[in-house]
Amino acid sequence: MNPKQIACFVLMALIGIIVYVAQIVHQKVTAMRQEAEDAESAATTAESERSTAEIKTAVIKTETEELRRFLRSWLPAVDKIQTQQEVKQTIELSLREGGITLIRQNKDEPKSSNTNKVIPKSVLTTLTIEDEYAKVLNWFGDIERRLPLARMKAVQVTGGSTARQLKLDVTFETPIFDLKAVAPAKPAAKPNDKEKKS
Amino acid sequence: MTDYLCHDFKTPRTDAARRLPSTFRFIPIIFYVAIVGSAYMMTMDYFAFQKAKRQKMEADERKSRIEGERDSLNSEFAELEAESKKAEAVAQWMEGARNIQPIVVKLARAVAAETRLGTLSLERDEDVAANIALSLKVSGTNATTEVINIENALGQLQYRSLSPQQTKTEDDIEYRSTLVRSAQ
Repeated sequence: MNPKQIACFVLMALIGIIVYVAQIVHQKVTAMRQEAEDAESAATTAESERSTAEIKTAVIKTETEELRRFLRSWLPAVDKIQTQQEVKQTIELSLREGGITLIRQNKDEPKSSNTNKVIPKSVLTTLTIEDEYAKVLNWFGDIERRLPLARMKAVQVTGGSTARQLKLDVTFETPIFDLKAVAPAKPAAKPNDKEKKS
Repeated sequence: MTDYLCHDFKTPRTDAARRLPSTFRFIPIIFYVAIVGSAYMMTMDYFAFQKAKRQKMEADERKSRIEGERDSLNSEFAELEAESKKAEAVAQWMEGARNIQPIVVKLARAVAAETRLGTLSLERDEDVAANIALSLKVSGTNATTEVINIENALGQLQYRSLSPQQTKTEDDIEYRSTLVRSAQ
């Protein structure tokens, strides 16, 4: 090969290298543009998801407003009674304050439920009292006021030993709510996050 | 300098190597074109790269901001859902825990003084706690009228008697029914 040929080959090689480098740079730019487009698209998707989440939140907020207000109004009552001891004390206090004659010793039975997470425990109370008509009915109203969550399961009113007296057999169940058992559901992990982790 | 010497310098000499084909003259032109073209392309690519990088960064920032808002909304949604579930559980319980004392008082007041109200029993249904099985015994001459009064009194408390049954024996009436809370 003569020097002219060598020079030509060198030039051709340089042209090749320049074109190759330019192509590599262009590819990188194209890749960056693609990444920018992908990022833009991901941002648009996120925006759409945010809008959906906003609508869903607004809808549930409106739909459950009354229900949540109901819960808020009952929360003090729920928080007030959290143990069997508190139920017992409330009953004893009510009987003492009402000056009620207790015929049969009240029976407090704790009751557990595996199926109901919100009410895992409840206290079943059975009472038999006998006193004046007004006192008995007032006490009955008072215990329902003091234990507003209590469910009167069975009530039997019969005449007492005297004409003015009334005998009341009552069985009621006081729930011990565990509202913490209902925890907010964690949002599902995005597929992209999983990919990143793996 | 003499003419001879000048002539001597200009003496044509034979090529050391063979001439290249004429088409090879384009190689340097192509080389310069390649340099200029590449310089142009790379400059354009550089600016495009910077622009794309900026766009990507902005989009990523926007995405992370929006995702933060979305996650916050999703958390709020989950909390609202959990709260409504709790409320539903409490409401479900409370539906079967309505006060019974007003019923007892209303029934006692519904009957006239000369009529005797015998055993009064109220029992909640095991399956549907909101329903109450009522059983009572009315004694007196106007027992039939008193039963109607009792039903009216229960109506005032938003309860209606479901499948009421009456067993009459002389002046006594044994009344049984299931009290169902009327929809408000």
